[in-house]
Amino acid sequence: MNTLINMDPWSILDTMLDVDSRIFRNMRAHAAGRFPPVNVFLDDDAVIIDMELPGKTAKDVNLTLEPQAVLIADSPAETVGEDGKPAAKGAPAWSRRIELPFRINAEKANAKFTDGILRVELPKAEAAGVRHIKIEG
Amino acid sequence: MNNEEKFTVPTATLTEKPDGYELRILVPGIGKKDAELHMDGKTLALKTHASYQNPAGFKQVNAEFERTNYALNAELPEMADPASLEAKLANGVLTVTVRKRAETQAKKIEIG
Repeated sequence: MNTLINMDPWSILDTMLDVDSRIFRNMRAHAAGRFPPVNVFLDDDAVIIDMELPGKTAKDVNLTLEPQAVLIADSPAETVGEDGKPAAKGAPAWSRRIELPFRINAEKANAKFTDGILRVELPKAEAAGVRHIKIEG
Repeated sequence: MNNEEKFTVPTATLTEKPDGYELRILVPGIGKKDAELHMDGKTLALKTHASYQNPAGFKQVNAEFERTNYALNAELPEMADPASLEAKLANGVLTVTVRKRAETQAKKIEIG
């Protein structure tokens, strides 16, 4: 018996979910612990990440930029040890690492809290000069 | 056609303190101008209209929360004094404090 249609079920799923899979196939949000909900928006020049964090302010959140990813984590409060000096910080209660479909310009990145929602704007890095390499031999 | 607004009941925590109560309501995305608070007898009514907007011109590629309107009706405890009610909205958290009525507060009695 011949197969009637040669189809890839994943491509159908991508279409159904309306995900621009070619751009975003490599983007995955890794999560650890109970994490706050995240919205991610994309255009040709930047990515915007919104995170619901009611009651939190800038000092409660750590933001780490990697060339092509962003790590957003809870910043545990410093505890004071028995000797009165700040004790080591504990592990963050949650963290999320979001891989991006392009390299970002960390210098132009900005983050702002508005009414308990953190918005992180990450502009795309200027394309590095394309270099052709001559193959010898 | 359905033009009804949808409301979500926010997460809220009521804490009792020696001299009063504190109600902590999580309303992320809600600023002072977006929230209405009413007292009717002993019932506290909260209604909000979200101003959170998705960035214009961007395509959403991951969606875990959306613009939310919150509504909550909470009856104050019997011992609360509605006249002492104070509300503060900061960083997406509405904190409502109310004192206990003087005659209901615990009193320390000196032993003569």
